[in-house]
Amino acid sequence: MTLPAGIDAPSAGRPDPRRWRAEALRTISVSLRGITKSYAVRRGWRDAARHPFSAPRNIVIDTLDLDVFESEMFGILGLNGAGKTTLLKMLATFILPDSGSASVAGHDIINNPRAVRAQLAMVTADERSLNWRLSADENMLLFAGLHGINGEQARRLTGQILAKVGLESGGNKIVGAFSSGMRQRLLLARALLSNPRILLLDEPTRSLDPVAAHDFRGLLRNLADEGGVTILLATHNPDEAFAYCDRVVVLHRGGIAALGRASELAARFGRERYRVWTQNREHPAFVALARRGLVEELTPVADLDGGHALECTIPGGEAQAAEVLRRLVESHVVVARFERVSLPLSSLIARIAETHLAAAERGRAHA
Amino acid sequence: MRESWALIRAAWVTAASYRMGMFISLFGLVFVLLPLYFIANALQPTMAHTIAGEAHQYFGFVVLGAVCFSLASICTTALPSAIGGAIGNGTLEAILGTPARLRSICIGLMGYGVLWATLRAVILLTVAIWLGAAVMWRGVPLALGVMALTMLIYTGFGLLLAAIVMLFRTSGPLATVLLTGSMFLGGVYYPTSVIPSFLRDLAAFFPLTYGLRALRQIMLRGDSFHHVAHDVQILALMTTISLSVGTLMFCLALQRARRAGTLSSY
Repeated sequence: MTLPAGIDAPSAGRPDPRRWRAEALRTISVSLRGITKSYAVRRGWRDAARHPFSAPRNIVIDTLDLDVFESEMFGILGLNGAGKTTLLKMLATFILPDSGSASVAGHDIINNPRAVRAQLAMVTADERSLNWRLSADENMLLFAGLHGINGEQARRLTGQILAKVGLESGGNKIVGAFSSGMRQRLLLARALLSNPRILLLDEPTRSLDPVAAHDFRGLLRNLADEGGVTILLATHNPDEAFAYCDRVVVLHRGGIAALGRASELAARFGRERYRVWTQNREHPAFVALARRGLVEELTPVADLDGGHALECTIPGGEAQAAEVLRRLVESHVVVARFERVSLPLSSLIARIAETHLAAAERGRAHA
Repeated sequence: MRESWALIRAAWVTAASYRMGMFISLFGLVFVLLPLYFIANALQPTMAHTIAGEAHQYFGFVVLGAVCFSLASICTTALPSAIGGAIGNGTLEAILGTPARLRSICIGLMGYGVLWATLRAVILLTVAIWLGAAVMWRGVPLALGVMALTMLIYTGFGLLLAAIVMLFRTSGPLATVLLTGSMFLGGVYYPTSVIPSFLRDLAAFFPLTYGLRALRQIMLRGDSFHHVAHDVQILALMTTISLSVGTLMFCLALQRARRAGTLSSY
């Protein structure tokens, strides 16, 4: 078996001399084959009475094939309603697929859900799943018991894991008195109780402050690198996708719109976006460059730090960017700074979705 | 069973954090028992003949009826209300996401309610005996068996109601119909023999009819197993049917909720 697309072993940019991780990245941890899920569309009383047995269905996941490798941090991106949460919930055995098969750590999610649940844990951004009337310790002990861990071992584990997520001093406090960030950390601590081989996380840093979110991501990265935990992370956060995930998949209308390393996707779909800092935003040279097709999507940026800037897309890579800069200087445009800006994740996803949609429509027209 | 105990313990810690509620739950027994004591004693002369087939003393008769009914009620309502609560507060999905067996989860979710009701029943019976309720102690083991069968039948109903809650988020008036029917036709406050004949046929469908009659004959009259064998056989048959149907319906409802993706929707 070859390495998954977009992965070097060990992953570039992060010193990881351990050979076992490279080996792990060759072992499939989560595998989906032709998984499809649809939900009945909610109808009005009249329609339901007229056609009681022909409820229209909304396809959320459409014949999805995907492999995630052991010890991999795998991002799941997509617009709202793309099927990210449904995918995670199917893997967690909360939702049954309509067709297809999936295995988690070698266990089939339909035929052997208990074995699957013993191998994975899911962390959602839903704080409601904690018992708010109990203390953090009691919440942990409850779930330790549900995982068959009791007594002294459960207490010891609880203390260790709460310390790991930075809640060592909040163990006796009832969860109702916790901040959102503390509850989020408790959800992760609860998931770590069973020492899972696979962690499913649905927007886990949504309620965390930037510092806590950074620490949280570091903890996840460490779990993957040092602990060999496979992490599937549904996120809208560019930091998580670009800096922490080994690979990402972009879902669109239940299908895979793109799969690979986030930086590669950004390069492939993002095109180059540049910011030009200048006092002469109205200079005719910009219009001339746009007419010649050297720059596209010229947009004035709201005044930043007392300066004036324009953003534009320059297709054709660095050579064309250099050519644009040369022509601006020759046209006597005073350029204070010329810099490449990264495309926001939202724009990248939207662009990937557009490309996917266009390809699908071309395929339909061809058929 | 570790899983069940973990859930029971969590429910206990939660309940214990509402101290006033706990105090009222126990102290309120006084307001159940004292009226029963005075009314039963006042009615003893007129009821003695009516209850002769099941007991000699009306106070014991009515206390046993109230205790058995309260246990049947909790067995019927504990699981559906726990499932409804867990769906509402979002913990059901998290609990079902653990490798714990479904059986252990169900026992754990209803366990605290049943244990607390049992404690209240024991206190009620102890105080009733202290107040003069006449009990035949040698019948206790057999009575416990009959009580267990009766509770299991109502647990089966509870599983069925929990399945309905899982599917529709409400069990509608079913629990009320079942429990009110059991109270008025099952012989909680009077023997089923005094019920009009057209209603007596209906009473035959309520397990409490057989459970209470057998319990009273064993505990209050000192009858042997031979006398209550017929009632016990019917209870055993009802237990088998109720638990089988309840378990099947609960599993099907859970499967349906997983297919529809509604485990955590409220």
